[in-house]
Amino acid sequence: MLESIKQYLSTNVTPGEAGSMFWATIYVLAITIGVSLAVLSMNWLERKILAHMQIRLGPMRVGPHGLLQPIADALKLLIKEDVIPAGADKIVFWIAPVFVMMTAFTTFIVVPFGRTAAVTDMNIGILFMLGVSSLGVLGVIMGGWASNSHYPLMGSLRSGAQMVSYEIAMGLAIISAVLMTSLGATGTGTLSMVGIVQAQADQRTWFVFSMFPLGLAAFVVFAIAMVAETNRAPFDLPEAESELVAGFMTEYSGFRWSLFFLAEYAAMLAVSSIAVTLWLGGWLRPFPNWLSGPAWDLAFSFVPGLTFLGLAAMCFIGTVRMPKILQLRIQTIGLGTFGAVLAAVGLLLLVPGVRERSQDVFWFTAKVAVFMYLYIWYRGTFPRYRFDQLMKVGWKILLPVSLGVLIVTAIVGVRQELWAALTGVTR
Amino acid sequence: MGGAYGGDTVSLGPILRKVFLVDLVKGLGVTFRNQSEEQRVTEQYPLERPEVYERFRGQPRLKVNPDNGESLCIVCNLCALACPEQLIVVKGERNPITKRKYPVQWTYDLSRCMFCGLCAEACSTDALELTQDYEMALYSREGMVLDQAALERGQEPVRYAR
Amino acid sequence: MSNGNYNRPDLLDLDTKQETFLDTTEMVLNMGPQHPSTHGVLRVILKLDGEKVLGTECIIGYLHRGVEKIAENRTYAMFNPYVDRMDYVAAVSNGLGYCEAVEKLLAVEAPARAQYIRVIMTELCRIASHQVWLGTHALDIGALTPVFYAFRDREEILKIFEKYCGARLTTHAFRIGGCIYEIYDGFEQDVKNFCQKFLPKLDEYEELLTTNRIWVARTKGVGVLSAEDCIALGVTGPVLRASGVEWDLRKKQPYEAYSKFQFDIPTGLNGDTYDRYLVRIQEMRQAVRILLQAVESIPAGPIMAKVPKVIKPAPGEVYHSIEAPKGELGYYIVSDGSTQPYRVRVRPPSFVNLQALDKMVRGMLVADVVAVIGTLDIVLGEVDR
Repeated sequence: MLESIKQYLSTNVTPGEAGSMFWATIYVLAITIGVSLAVLSMNWLERKILAHMQIRLGPMRVGPHGLLQPIADALKLLIKEDVIPAGADKIVFWIAPVFVMMTAFTTFIVVPFGRTAAVTDMNIGILFMLGVSSLGVLGVIMGGWASNSHYPLMGSLRSGAQMVSYEIAMGLAIISAVLMTSLGATGTGTLSMVGIVQAQADQRTWFVFSMFPLGLAAFVVFAIAMVAETNRAPFDLPEAESELVAGFMTEYSGFRWSLFFLAEYAAMLAVSSIAVTLWLGGWLRPFPNWLSGPAWDLAFSFVPGLTFLGLAAMCFIGTVRMPKILQLRIQTIGLGTFGAVLAAVGLLLLVPGVRERSQDVFWFTAKVAVFMYLYIWYRGTFPRYRFDQLMKVGWKILLPVSLGVLIVTAIVGVRQELWAALTGVTR
Repeated sequence: MGGAYGGDTVSLGPILRKVFLVDLVKGLGVTFRNQSEEQRVTEQYPLERPEVYERFRGQPRLKVNPDNGESLCIVCNLCALACPEQLIVVKGERNPITKRKYPVQWTYDLSRCMFCGLCAEACSTDALELTQDYEMALYSREGMVLDQAALERGQEPVRYAR
Repeated sequence: MSNGNYNRPDLLDLDTKQETFLDTTEMVLNMGPQHPSTHGVLRVILKLDGEKVLGTECIIGYLHRGVEKIAENRTYAMFNPYVDRMDYVAAVSNGLGYCEAVEKLLAVEAPARAQYIRVIMTELCRIASHQVWLGTHALDIGALTPVFYAFRDREEILKIFEKYCGARLTTHAFRIGGCIYEIYDGFEQDVKNFCQKFLPKLDEYEELLTTNRIWVARTKGVGVLSAEDCIALGVTGPVLRASGVEWDLRKKQPYEAYSKFQFDIPTGLNGDTYDRYLVRIQEMRQAVRILLQAVESIPAGPIMAKVPKVIKPAPGEVYHSIEAPKGELGYYIVSDGSTQPYRVRVRPPSFVNLQALDKMVRGMLVADVVAVIGTLDIVLGEVDR
C-alpha cells in the first residue's frame, strides 16, 4: 500500500493519466476541500476588502479581525429552519441548489492547477468546462420555478437569460484563445486545458500578449462576460433588484441558500480559472522569457514561501497593534496563533522538495486570487446596469466585438497561408 | 454621451476614452485609493467611545453647590414652564431661615425628552444643565423618570464587557 | 392585493371588469412601506404593463405625527424644536424657515451677525443634505461606496453642528429673533478646513460617477420633467432648476444675508435624472463658495434682536418661504393674538415634489422608479409631518 503510494508520487502524472481511480478520488476530495476553503476565505475577503473600499472596517468582532466570521455564518445558516413554500414542487425545490452546486464543482475536474496537478486532463477540457457551467443555468431556472411564486420565477428567468446571453460572447472569446494554440510549431491546436498552457509555454508568450492587441481584446471580452455570467456587479440586477422583482433565491433559506451562495463563488472561481488558463499562462511563473534561467527560476521559487511569511508578518503586526484590553485577549492570542500557522506553512514552502512541487499550484492560485480581487473591486465601484441595458451590452456590444476578434485572429493566424494562396506563391 | 458636455463633432478623444474604458478605470482608482488605513473613520464602539463636545445636549443634571452640598435649584419653575413636553415637575418648600426655596420633589421624564435644551436655557440659577453623557439606555421604562437624587448623581453607564 | 379600505377599486381589484381605462393585461405591483429604496415609509402602487410603468399612486401618511396640530398647543418658542423633526436630514433649514416666519410676523429682524451665522449654518446644512441624497441615490442605482464617502463628509459637518449648538441632527440652532449660541472659538477655522477638504472629495465623487458610463446610462433620459410640468405641478428646488427654470429663492426673494454673497444658480438642460445630479453637485460647490465668503466677514455685534420674553404677535397671518435643500420650504402661520399660534401650515418641498413622481415615471421601466424616487430627494418626515 505504502509502496504504491510512494510509487505514484514519484511519477509525475495526473490520476487520469495514471488511470488510478483511487488517486482520482483523493484529488477530487482535495479539490472539494480546497474550493470550499477558497469560498470561505472569499466570503471573508469580500466583506473585508469591500469594507476597506468603503472606508469602514468590516467584521472585527467574531474572531480577530473577523476571521471566524465565515464559520459563524455557515453555522448560523446550518441551524436555520428549513422552510419550503406551500405549493412548491418539493423534488425540484430540493434539487435546484444541489444542481447548481454540483455543476460549479464538477468544472474543477479539468482545471489544471499545475502540469500534473489536475484530476484528469481531458482532451476536450475547455469544452467540458463550458458545457458543464452552462448546465448551471438550468439549476437557476429550476430554483425559480420550484418556488411557486411569481417574482422568483421572473427573477430566475431574467438571471437565466443574462447568463445565456453572455455565454455566447464567452464562447467566442474562448475560441479565439484556442485558435492561438495552433500557432505553435506543431501547427495543431488543442482543447485540453493542460495543452493550452503548454502551448503558451512553447510559444513563449502568454496568450494575452500574443498577436497584440487581439489576445488582449479577447481577454477583455471574456473578463467582462465572466462577470455577467456569474451575476456579479455591475450585472447583478436580477439578484439585487430584490425590491421589486425578487431574485430566484428568495424562497430559499438556511442551508439551501448557502448552497446557492457556495455555487456562486465556485462559479466565480471556475470562470476565473478558465481566464487564467487561457490567457494568463495558467501555472507558469511570471516573466518566463525576460527573466529566464536557473538563477531566476530559483529566485521565483522562493515567492510562495515568502508570500506566506509576509501574511504571517501581517498577522503578527496586527497582533501587536491589538488594543491591550481584557476583552480582546483571546482574540490577540488567536491572531498570533494564526500568524504562527501561516509562518509554519511559509517555512514549509521554503523546503527545497516542497518548493518545486508547490510552484505551479501557487502561481495558478495567485492569478485566480487577482481575479477574485477584481470581482470585489468591481462590486465596490460600479453602479448596476438596468436589465435592458445589460442585455444590450451582451448582444450589441460584446457579441460583435468577440466575433470580430475571432475573425481577425483567424485571418492573422493563417496570414502566411492566405498570402500564399492569394499570390500563388508556395511556402 | 455628449449631451451635458457639449460637442457634436466626432473627435478621437471621446471614442478612445470609451473604447479603453477610461471612465471605469478612473472609478476603480478612486475606490482603490480609499482603501488605505488613514481613510477609515469607523469608531469601534464600545471599545472606543466617541468624544462629544462641550455644548452637547445630553443627560440632564441638577447641579449642587460644591461648598455646602445644597441644590442650586430655587424652584422658580421656569424650566417646567419652558419645556415643550411638560415633563418636569418641581415642588419646593421655603427654608424659613435663609428664605430660600429648595426642591422637595423634582422629576424629569427622560422618555419624552427631546433634548431641546429649553429647560437649561430657562434656568435662572444655572442649576439644570444638559451634560455630555449620552449612554442612557435602560432595561425598564420606570428608570427613565429621574428623581432629584438621580439627577444630582448623574448617569453611571454600565460599560459593556464585549 | 385586495385592501378594501382604499376607495380605488379600479386600481386594486383585478377580478371585476370595470369600465375604466385599465385593461386586464396590466399588473399592479406594490412597493410597500418597508422598502430599502423609498427613503422612508412610502408606499408606491405601480400599474405595470410587463416592465413598463403605466401609472403610479403614492400612499403616504405612515410617518404622520401631527406636527401642525402640535403647533396649535405650544407657544412659538416651544414649537421651535419640533420643526427640526420634519425634514430630519436638514434640520437647520427647517429651524431657519420657522424662525424667519415668526420674525416676519413680529416684524423684527435678526441682527447682522446672527444673519451671517444663520447663513453659514444653513449652507453647511445644504451640503449635508445633498450628501445624504448623493449617497442614497447612488446606493439605489447600485454603487455601494459613495454612500460611505458622503456620510464621512457629513460627519465633519455634524461635528461642527455639535460644537456649535450641541446636537448633530435635531439641532435647534436658531431662536426667534436671532441665535442664542455665540460661535465657538475655532468656528471659522473649522468651516474653512472643512471647505478645503471637501472640494477635492467632491472632485473624487465626480470622478467616480459623473463620467461613468453605467451611471450615465442609468440616469440620462430617465425621469424627464419639462419646465412647464414643473411649474404646473409646483415643483421647486433642484428638480425645478434642472429642468431649466432659473428660480432660487435665495436670489429671487433674498432673505437673511444672501444678498451680500456672490454665488451662481446652476441650472440643467433636459430635466432628467442626470441633470438633477449635476445641479446638486454644483449646488454643493456654490455652497462652499458662499461659506468661504461668509466666514471671512462675520460682522461683530449682538446675536439676538429685541424680542419680548413672551411672544404674543398681533393677530394676522404670514407666509414665509426659504430655499431649503430640497426646495421651497414655506411656513404659513396664523396668529390670533395669543401666545400659541392658531395654525401653522408647513409647505414641505418633498410633498409637492412627490406629486411629480407620476408624471416622471410613466413609460419608464420598473428599475427606473427607484432611481426617480431617489432623484426627487424626498424625506418622508417632511411629506407626512
